[in-house]
Amino acid sequence: MQYNLDKQTIKPINLEDEMKKSFISYAMATIISRALPDVRDGLKPVHRRILYSMHELGVTPDKPYRKSVRVVGDVLGKYHPHGDSAVYDAMVRMAQPFSLRYMLIDGHGNFGSVDGDGAAAMRYTEARMSPIALEMLRDIDKNTVDMGPNFDETTMQPLVLPARFPALLVNGSNGIAVGMATNIPPHNMREVVDGVLAQMDNPDITVEELMSIIPGPDFPTGAMVMGRAGISQAYRTGKGRIIMRAKTSIEELPHNKHRIIVTEIPYQVNKSTLVKKIADLVQQKRVEGIDELRDESGRDGMRIVIGCKQDVNPEVVLNTLY
Amino acid sequence: MENNKNNSYDASQIEVLEGLEAVRKRPGMYIGSTDVRGLHHLVYELVDNSIDEAMQGFCDTIHVTINPDGTLTVTDNGRGIPTDMHPKEHRPAVEVCMTVLHAGGKFGGGGYKVSGGLHGVGMSVVNALASWLEVTVRQRGKVFFQRYEIGKPCFDLKVIGESEETGTSITFMPSPDIFETLDFDFNTLKTRLREMAFLNSGVHIILQDKREGREAKRDFHYEGGVSHFVEYLNRSKTPLTEKPIHIVARKDDTEVEVALQYTDGYNEAVYAFTNNIANPEGGTHVAGFRSAITRCINNYARAHGMLKEKDENLQGDDVREGLTAIISVRLPDPQFEGQTKAKLGTSSVRTVVDNMVSDRLSTYMEENPQDARLMVGKCISASQAREAARKAREQTRRKSALESAALPGKLSDCSEKDPSLCEIYLVEGDSAGGSAKMGRDRRFQAILPLRGKILNVEKTRLDRALGNEEIRSMITAFGCGAHEQCDLSKLRYHRIVCMTDADVDGSHIRILLLTFFYRFMRPLVEQGHVYIAQPPLYKVAKKGRDTYCYSDEELAAVLDEVGREGANVQRYKGLGEMNAEQLWETTMNPETRIMLRVSMQDAIAADEIFSTLMGDAVDPRREFIEENAKLVANLDV
Repeated sequence: MQYNLDKQTIKPINLEDEMKKSFISYAMATIISRALPDVRDGLKPVHRRILYSMHELGVTPDKPYRKSVRVVGDVLGKYHPHGDSAVYDAMVRMAQPFSLRYMLIDGHGNFGSVDGDGAAAMRYTEARMSPIALEMLRDIDKNTVDMGPNFDETTMQPLVLPARFPALLVNGSNGIAVGMATNIPPHNMREVVDGVLAQMDNPDITVEELMSIIPGPDFPTGAMVMGRAGISQAYRTGKGRIIMRAKTSIEELPHNKHRIIVTEIPYQVNKSTLVKKIADLVQQKRVEGIDELRDESGRDGMRIVIGCKQDVNPEVVLNTLY
Repeated sequence: MENNKNNSYDASQIEVLEGLEAVRKRPGMYIGSTDVRGLHHLVYELVDNSIDEAMQGFCDTIHVTINPDGTLTVTDNGRGIPTDMHPKEHRPAVEVCMTVLHAGGKFGGGGYKVSGGLHGVGMSVVNALASWLEVTVRQRGKVFFQRYEIGKPCFDLKVIGESEETGTSITFMPSPDIFETLDFDFNTLKTRLREMAFLNSGVHIILQDKREGREAKRDFHYEGGVSHFVEYLNRSKTPLTEKPIHIVARKDDTEVEVALQYTDGYNEAVYAFTNNIANPEGGTHVAGFRSAITRCINNYARAHGMLKEKDENLQGDDVREGLTAIISVRLPDPQFEGQTKAKLGTSSVRTVVDNMVSDRLSTYMEENPQDARLMVGKCISASQAREAARKAREQTRRKSALESAALPGKLSDCSEKDPSLCEIYLVEGDSAGGSAKMGRDRRFQAILPLRGKILNVEKTRLDRALGNEEIRSMITAFGCGAHEQCDLSKLRYHRIVCMTDADVDGSHIRILLLTFFYRFMRPLVEQGHVYIAQPPLYKVAKKGRDTYCYSDEELAAVLDEVGREGANVQRYKGLGEMNAEQLWETTMNPETRIMLRVSMQDAIAADEIFSTLMGDAVDPRREFIEENAKLVANLDV
């Protein structure tokens, strides 16, 4: 070999030091500018960039839909130097009625379903901003928020959106960073705004008083919260467990047969996995008394049918399922 | 050859180095190296002496202080180095210890029963390698003082005061002619001194940094000894039992202290010490400990029906999975294999440790059936996983035999067959892999692209990790095998280079790779086969001239030089942004590149950092982040 290996520069580096240095920079980057939302506008950087890009493209609710791929391309080229699928996934989530309490993007085409089906490819779907997204961006051109350079310093991007409503609480958020994670449930807009007003009138307002205005989270998928202790604990300490249960009704059939109809399932539960899990339980004989299980959901809304055997008390079956 | 004829080689060429001169000429022989490691070795030599004093029960507090002027002081309250006249040398004993090699109280003359020092060179070596050294001894109601410069006394030992106390205090300034760096590192000292405090329960060790802007102080004092040590090591893991099992025993002159505790992790962390000296390569005490624990666990499992008659015995690897243990033995005249005391060779220690540990451990297990069940259960599941992993491995082997080519398909191998010349680049992503493939010198540089982030092996069981495709292709590409089968003689590339993007995800992949190397192929790291490539961060183009910069400081310097006006700065985010030719020029060409060679100093600290950062427990990780958040080097998206 004709290379003179002595010419190269080899610096020694300690294993632990390298681990510490690389780890901390990765962890901090993940925490600060990737996985966790900003408390002011409730958005992670990728969401903020999508909305700002759409604002720049002018795809407001009164304009026709624009191909998703054009928006994604714009975000990638200008602000977000990462993979295209990450941007598109974030965008899809903002358009799903079952993911966001108040959708920020008005999607046209297949944007996925509670069954966990993915959205159509970005070359098929179209999107524009939803009316409420305009509120997120209102007055951004009037020098209301700080701007910073983008990754290659060719243009500027907002560090935070003006957000005219308390977006973090209203739409919730969840994210797993390194060493820390967050999971904030969505809330009802009216209740939260009332709560904010109340707090402005009385800065020393107690959690109890606030909870009389905002009784708890408001999930886009409906369903029931079991017990309020968890909610109260979450509001008080920032940590609490909120247990959810599907909404069901019981239909009576001839020959003393019943069936359970599930019409609402908890937030972020994948419906087809749920059905499959119930089927597994029946097959393993962990739950007795079920003779048929069908997902009859369609355009009229959600409807999972759990048929019970003759002479079986449907309440008992339901309880074992919970 | 012509020139050499004039160079006669006769008796006049033979030099005899007298006394300390030898130490200055060849410091490596006495302290290993003249880098940062050697520098700290000086401190350990002095502290070891104080610890030896503590082991005799004469000393309970040791101060180690980094002074504002960069010197270092070690003070103890032991008996003090003898100050009376040495009968043969006709000089005070302290001066003899300081200036004569192989002078000391540890050759069995009755001064010390057991000690870490053996050769009587420690203090004199420190003296020889210091530009100046001052020793103060408080003894017999008086304070004695002497100063040395480059090993030579400036004046005779004199009395400068009176004192009721006893003890020795030594201050020295390491010689800038010898050492590459004179900067004592607080953290390095902290780790080592903490270790010493664990091993010598009851001794106070106080470490203080008085340098401006770096003030820090730590006080180490552990009554619980090695049992505390194990708890400390396990603080970022989840232990199975509440308390470590602590065994203290003595037979004849040999003292054995062992503490062990199982965690739900998959790695073994067993550290052995002889007279406070770490033995990273183990030795007879480790062998005795291993056979004892394997036998105990197996006996218990058989006796209580957890292993059936037809089941095979649990093997050593199974009973050591997730085991954290400290083995500390003390004995007079230990025999080591090799100069660095890395491996204990005294064969009688084996039986002593074996008997003591199996006796106490089986008693403990009978008395604490709940803990015993947890421990044995853990070992049995480890054995099942090992069996599954073996099957998985066999499967990969069989498959590759069918495919004729055993190497992974994505590897672009090099044509050179001599491993010492070959290097392999692990590249992040196929897009960067393409550039690297086109830019390399195919004669000796191989490229293996890895897709996305590799598995975190710290959180994964062996059988699952081996089932992972990226991990498997790395193992087959390196050719050296993993874990116990890791055999460096089969290594196909002597330089393994991680080449990742210069962004935070690149950092993440780098730490995942390092975790994998450390946990699966530790010898690679220990022998310095692992390198980190340094791609440039910026390119400055001005008037047709391109300059590459490897750091922000360099960028500023270059910009000042060429002028900011009209300079076009490109920040490289990913390797895929570079052309093949650029990549070769900046990162891979052996004549121009910069590489970092990963080295490991302290196995305990390394193990701890891996389990903190990559392991299951979240809280220590969050603490780490909170403590270090200020230090973030580059923060962008």
